[in-house]
Amino acid sequence: MAAIDPLVRELSQIVGPDAVLYRREDLIAYECDGYTVRKQPPRAVVFPSCTAEVSAVVKHLHERHIPFIPRGAGTGLSGGAIPLGGEVIISLVRMKRLLHVDYENRLAVVEPGFVNLKLTNAVAAKGYYYAPDPSSQYACTIGGNVAENAGGAHCLKYGVTTNHVLGLEVVLADGEIVEIGGVPDTPGYDLLGLLTGSEGTLGIVTKITVRILKNPEGKKTVLAYFDSVEEASRAVSDIVAAGIVPAALEMMDKTAIEGVEAGNYPVGHPKGLEALLLIEVDGISAGIDDQIARIVEVCQNRNVSEVKVAASEEERARWWANRKTAFPAMGAISPDYLVQDGVIPRSRLPEVLEKISRISARSGLRIANVFHAGDGNLHPLILFDARIPGETERAVQVGSEVLKACADAGGSITGEHGVGIEKKEEMRYIFTDEEIAAQIGIRDVFNPQNLLNPDKLFPKPGRCAEMRTAPGEAR
Amino acid sequence: MAAMAITKAITVGKIRPAAEPLHVLGNHGAYEVFPETEEEIAAVLQAAHAHSLSVIPMGGGTKRGWGGTLEKADILLCLSSCRGIVEYSPGDMTVTVKAGTTIREIAEQLAVHGQMLPLDPFWPDAATIGGVVAANDSGPKRLRYGSARDHVIGLRVVYPDGRVIRTGGKVVKNVAGYDMSKLFIGSMGTLGVMSEITLKLRPVPPCQSLLLLAFPNADFPAIRSFVLAVLDSTMEPVSLELLSPALHQAMNGRDGYALAIALEDGEKAVRYQEEWLIAHAPPGTEIRSWRQEEAAHWWSRFYRMFPSGVSPADRQAAEMALKIGSRNLDVLELVKTCHDLGERHGLAVEGHGGLGHGISRVYVKGDPARFAAYLQEVRTAAEERGGYAVVQHASLAVRRQLDVWGRPPAGFSLMQGVKRAIDPRQVCSPNRFVGGI
Ligand SMILES: Cc1cc2nc3c(=O)[nH]c(=O)nc-3n(C[C@H](O)[C@H](O)[C@H](O)COP(=O)(O)OP(=O)(O)OC[C@H]3O[C@@H](n4cnc5c(N)ncnc54)[C@H](O)[C@@H]3O)c2cc1C
Repeated sequence: MAAIDPLVRELSQIVGPDAVLYRREDLIAYECDGYTVRKQPPRAVVFPSCTAEVSAVVKHLHERHIPFIPRGAGTGLSGGAIPLGGEVIISLVRMKRLLHVDYENRLAVVEPGFVNLKLTNAVAAKGYYYAPDPSSQYACTIGGNVAENAGGAHCLKYGVTTNHVLGLEVVLADGEIVEIGGVPDTPGYDLLGLLTGSEGTLGIVTKITVRILKNPEGKKTVLAYFDSVEEASRAVSDIVAAGIVPAALEMMDKTAIEGVEAGNYPVGHPKGLEALLLIEVDGISAGIDDQIARIVEVCQNRNVSEVKVAASEEERARWWANRKTAFPAMGAISPDYLVQDGVIPRSRLPEVLEKISRISARSGLRIANVFHAGDGNLHPLILFDARIPGETERAVQVGSEVLKACADAGGSITGEHGVGIEKKEEMRYIFTDEEIAAQIGIRDVFNPQNLLNPDKLFPKPGRCAEMRTAPGEAR
Repeated sequence: MAAMAITKAITVGKIRPAAEPLHVLGNHGAYEVFPETEEEIAAVLQAAHAHSLSVIPMGGGTKRGWGGTLEKADILLCLSSCRGIVEYSPGDMTVTVKAGTTIREIAEQLAVHGQMLPLDPFWPDAATIGGVVAANDSGPKRLRYGSARDHVIGLRVVYPDGRVIRTGGKVVKNVAGYDMSKLFIGSMGTLGVMSEITLKLRPVPPCQSLLLLAFPNADFPAIRSFVLAVLDSTMEPVSLELLSPALHQAMNGRDGYALAIALEDGEKAVRYQEEWLIAHAPPGTEIRSWRQEEAAHWWSRFYRMFPSGVSPADRQAAEMALKIGSRNLDVLELVKTCHDLGERHGLAVEGHGGLGHGISRVYVKGDPARFAAYLQEVRTAAEERGGYAVVQHASLAVRRQLDVWGRPPAGFSLMQGVKRAIDPRQVCSPNRFVGGI
């Protein structure tokens, strides 16, 4: 038996022996997150129970130049919480209390390990909710949401995590604790905005103040079936052009529908559909019927084959369960799948979806599309079988080609899942070396030794070393 | 020396020695430079960087009295000639504009397609999008629509050494890399010069109205419980702005505190909300309402009421504006405190604040010798509630006697680090921002 790593004893002295994992078999669960294509165990996992412990652990590691990774529920889809070699994982899941709800000022204060959906559940009785609703909301933590700037189906109207975070307590890379934000527009640079979405590379979030919203008075949901992806995509643009801001505007293509219907929450969508739209409108009840009528009309102009309004809350909930479990449902039609997360201007949906289907045909791998159509955030699910040699690599390659297609259409390589380790090289599709260097310059302010979640987000140096180019060349 | 360096960077016709040697608000430049393109901005900054010259970027000049203790920098970089829409895609509800475009010009172009910039900053005729974003200005409607940080999705920034760096992108959802745009929003021109700004838009609501609820007997407990009832209801007001008695008087010729509640939605939804609000208003409330163009007109008067860098020069020396940030409901107490302190200090004070968004503003007129004491008391009241107060507008002479930004915020050393990383030679707006950044 190998000798126990002395670091484990030291960490145990800070957080207690029951809050450190170090045995090989215990580390297996921490080899990867929701991005399963690459695995590596951490050196150890620690479970601090309060900010002071996080700070003490970080100080200890910082002094010894040992790299570390914050981790929430591990549902991240870009490998942000995956060790690359020798990191200690700092898991925030024991810091999972709801600290405070202030209904008058419409805010809640949570610890980072508090699960997203629990917040909505906690304030539901008074008619409030927490708006960002990633499909993983039953499991993912709000700390992880802040780190990824998570989105969700209803972010079209209500914005993503960054629009709902009011304040943070953060443990910096050297263990210092700072509280930022709290009231709007605090003087100074917007560190709150910078930290949100920094994927655990600028600080460890230990406390979060978020906005809570009142439930809308009314809500109606429409399901529209189409015989053509193109017509469905055009309906998306038409709805937006009609001046309607739906709360959600989701799309699934044929393969995705096949998946969800084979999954645990089938709705009984008719066979042979090419695409469906799930559209929700909310707000003051008095205006909703008019908006629904407009949406139905738009869909009819785009040759919808069937369009219906949810008759009951129960029906609405079934439609959403079907949509929100789309990723895991792919397990029913494929041994493995890789989720991509490109964004495009929504007016270019038809053209990019067409490109994706060509990429799929050429590669021989099926691609299911289930996505936030309203804000152009695609989630192509690349179906593959890891047991077939070379197929995993092919799936990764296809994912990269899809992101290139999005970037070429004026879009982005990720809308909500983050860069992590997965899309580091793809950063070059949208940023110049100089722009990447500028971002690394900011990381170095917060994380000068690159100990905090090292080597994530940015492509390998060398090619992106600081270079002088003539001004204006970045266009 | 400075002149030589600049003339090499940009054609002589776009440079002139400052027309007036001094400006009552400071933040002036020995030379005024008028670039028309991003390349020209970059060339000027590159030259400034090489020769360690200081540069103050300026759009419409409405915020010239906001921060800074410099009488003049070497260069006042006037961006008013960098204007116009670069790219507008109504189907995507996004627009890219050059920094020197005025808010009004943008609004007019978007209105053609039934869309709008969901920002309601002050002085829309003169204020440019670059200045509004750099100062993070916002109006009462941020309650519903949010502020610049919610709408800006991408920037082209000319770094202080002349490099052009893009942040974000042109799509409405994007988490690739750091959200660098946030650093420049509200940076007061200390981190470079934004040349292009890409924003998310909204459709123009088909119907708008404004309810003005006046409370002649200033029954604060009743106002508070009404506001709480509104906030706890499913109503969706676009503003819930408390006006102080003097401001109410100036805007509407009536006395007492008032609430300006804007409603913007479909016709039925607006009418329904009007009825609800009227039914729930406390007894004794005087209610007036304006619809469509009349409501818009009321707001456009409101946005022009207050001191700015473009108000008449003779007024500038005896005016001051404060911006106060607090928890939403503390606005009620703070606006009242600002009013009461005005009476005590013999200053004319108009104030307003957003119940539901937490930003208040106070406009003070009178003997500048009394400003410091007034500011100190307002600041204490704000800080006691976990908030802050900063001087948003004052003459240079007044600013030099006041602590404009208050004490450095938490995380200040990180902010200094950010400044050092981007502008190590302190080219851009030196000493304009909090803590001397
Ligand atoms: C089935 C499924 C559906 C999904 N649907 C969506 C969706 O609709 N929208 C969406 O946006 N995402 C979605 N995701 C992705 C994922 O759930 C989100 O990115 C989520 O925010 C991750 O939270 P987590 O707690 O699991 O974080 P983790 O996976 O543990 O960590 C994610 C990243 O955050 C960092 N991190 C975690 N906690 C902290 C902290 N306290 N401080 C600093 N850094 C921290 C980690 O280092 C890592 O880089 C989905 C994932 C799955 C598996």
